[in-house]
Amino acid sequence: MDQITIREPVVQTQPVKATARGVDVYYADNHAIKNVDIDILDKTVTAFIGPSGCGKSTFLRCLNRMNDTIDICRVTGDILLDGEDIYHRSVDPALLRARVGMVFQKPNPFPKSVYDNVAYGPRIHGLAANKAELDNIVEASLRGASLWEEAKDRLDQPGTGLSGGQQQRLCIARAIATAPEVLLMDEPCSALDPIATARIEELIDELRQNFAIVIVTHSMQQAARVSQKTAFFHLGDMVEYGETTAMFTNPEDKRTQDYITGRFG
Amino acid sequence: MTDIPNLPNIDWKDPALAVRLKRRNGKDNWLCWAGLGALGAACLTLVILLASLLVSGLPAFTQTHVTLDFEILAEKVPADDPGKGKFRTIVRDAIYAHFPDITNRREKRALAGMISNGAQYELRDYVIDNPDLIGSTVSLRVPVSDPYDQLAKGLIDPQTPEENRRLKDAEIANFDALADKGLISKPLNLALIANADSRFPELAGLSGALWGSFYALLVCFLISFPVGIAAGIYLEEFAPKNRFTDLIEVNINNLAAVPSVVFGLLALVAFIGWFGLPRSAPLLGGMTLSLMTLPTIIIATRIAVQAVPPSIRDAALGLGASRHQVVTGHVLPLAIPGILTGTIIGLARALGETAPLLLIGMNAFITQAPDSVMDPATALPTQIFIWADSPERGFVSRTSAAICVLLAFLIVMNGLAIYLRKRFERHW
Repeated sequence: MDQITIREPVVQTQPVKATARGVDVYYADNHAIKNVDIDILDKTVTAFIGPSGCGKSTFLRCLNRMNDTIDICRVTGDILLDGEDIYHRSVDPALLRARVGMVFQKPNPFPKSVYDNVAYGPRIHGLAANKAELDNIVEASLRGASLWEEAKDRLDQPGTGLSGGQQQRLCIARAIATAPEVLLMDEPCSALDPIATARIEELIDELRQNFAIVIVTHSMQQAARVSQKTAFFHLGDMVEYGETTAMFTNPEDKRTQDYITGRFG
Repeated sequence: MTDIPNLPNIDWKDPALAVRLKRRNGKDNWLCWAGLGALGAACLTLVILLASLLVSGLPAFTQTHVTLDFEILAEKVPADDPGKGKFRTIVRDAIYAHFPDITNRREKRALAGMISNGAQYELRDYVIDNPDLIGSTVSLRVPVSDPYDQLAKGLIDPQTPEENRRLKDAEIANFDALADKGLISKPLNLALIANADSRFPELAGLSGALWGSFYALLVCFLISFPVGIAAGIYLEEFAPKNRFTDLIEVNINNLAAVPSVVFGLLALVAFIGWFGLPRSAPLLGGMTLSLMTLPTIIIATRIAVQAVPPSIRDAALGLGASRHQVVTGHVLPLAIPGILTGTIIGLARALGETAPLLLIGMNAFITQAPDSVMDPATALPTQIFIWADSPERGFVSRTSAAICVLLAFLIVMNGLAIYLRKRFERHW
């Protein structure tokens, strides 16, 4: 009886931030997401992994309704943020996106100064009453994105003049400047070198104290390093969702096992 | 190394390969030379065109004048109303004074014909401005009439038989007599810019056409720029993609290719016939031209907006910007260099457009520059058209000169387009 391995129990240490129930996404006739149920926990990093074209980015973009901008895209099912249906008629996508921030694959700072990049969100939502408040928000956001030390002397210089890794941290600073509750990251490190990637990963781990973070990644190592929960998508299905350690050491589904051991994908 | 089946076995030293390579390089060279040849032919044509324009237009940039002493006698010019003075007689007396031998009435009339009809008005305006000159003698430089101007510029050859030229031997002798006294001069032809159109080539100028074109382009810009940008942005950023918007898109592209004379007919029917706008007015011209410029600006706007990277839109949308904030804050600033370039090129085309203006009467003979968009006027291309149609010798060179002026404006506008694009272009 000394061969017994006790599997760690799945303990939900944090409350649920966002819930998806029976979500289907169609691009015209293409059924991109098939009946996905998931609970995303607050102050936790959730990684979406899966082969290209499996729908993980599509599902991520459902969480802040970025798919609304695509004419042919249709979303059905329920996605709740704090128990509130984000696809409800009364929810304005503009306000939702301030609460659910997003960082994109390629660093995409505006062709404006570093300061204006970070101040953009607070400005359009009227979050700062005066210049001093705005200055505070900008500094706090840049500190939060651990860019302050590098950028404090060049706040008035174009954000596009920073290095790739700095630009991506600028985009993270910009996203957290509106004090979002959830931060979505769509392969935030895929355009960066390993050093910049390591910094962003550290940053993600720090940011976990404040937000629920959902990260789409192609790198299994990255998912294992930064996330506490992992969801594996395959051909539009969410195959498996659980504790990251459990998923990588002892996947339940054959497809998950094949993918994380590198047999396809 | 694994052997991949079915791959050809290639001998890279095969001479046939070298031959093929040589043939390929030969084709590259041929293409290169063909391009150079085409470019050379185009440049040569351009040089010939410009050179012929300059050669035939240059004489019009100077105008032969004669300096005469005019006796402003008090009995001929009433001091209380100098404008009513008999300046025609004063001018004639001034030229007769140089030829006391000529008493024959017919010869005297021919002599008076040497001075431009505009001389009396120049003298009148001068005296009205300086009324204390009444009673004294004024030395003033006045233009000579067109045939003598041609003679001074060598365009009338005294060697041709007398019956085949505009000026008789006696007239040429009179002119030469004045030239020998050093009274003939050829200053820069300021009348070409300052005066409006005239029956007399020596007095005709482009002022009316320049102002007419300016007002028409202003109206055209004020209409087509905001409307074009609004339409382009709406179609690109807001409009749903369906059959209806496809139809609109096809129609806009077609409109850009519609012959301009059709727009002239439309303006004739709609603007003049139905709305009763005054014909020949720059307002009407501008509205007509804006019909042509609109599709150009809409297309330029759409292309410029399409060129804005989607990542910038995503970034703004992801922060919760509403669509108008995305458009005004990000898309427009990035698209504006392209829009401006398209607009100026559209306006430059409108500046050179003739056919629609002919149909709405902007080729009328108007001797006064317009003071507003409602006054009748001509435009530069229609003025060229009128002058090219005029029989007087002096209009030949003036037509070329007017074309040079038009080309200069086109070059300036295109230069401005390049400058604005460079100035507002943002890199990211």
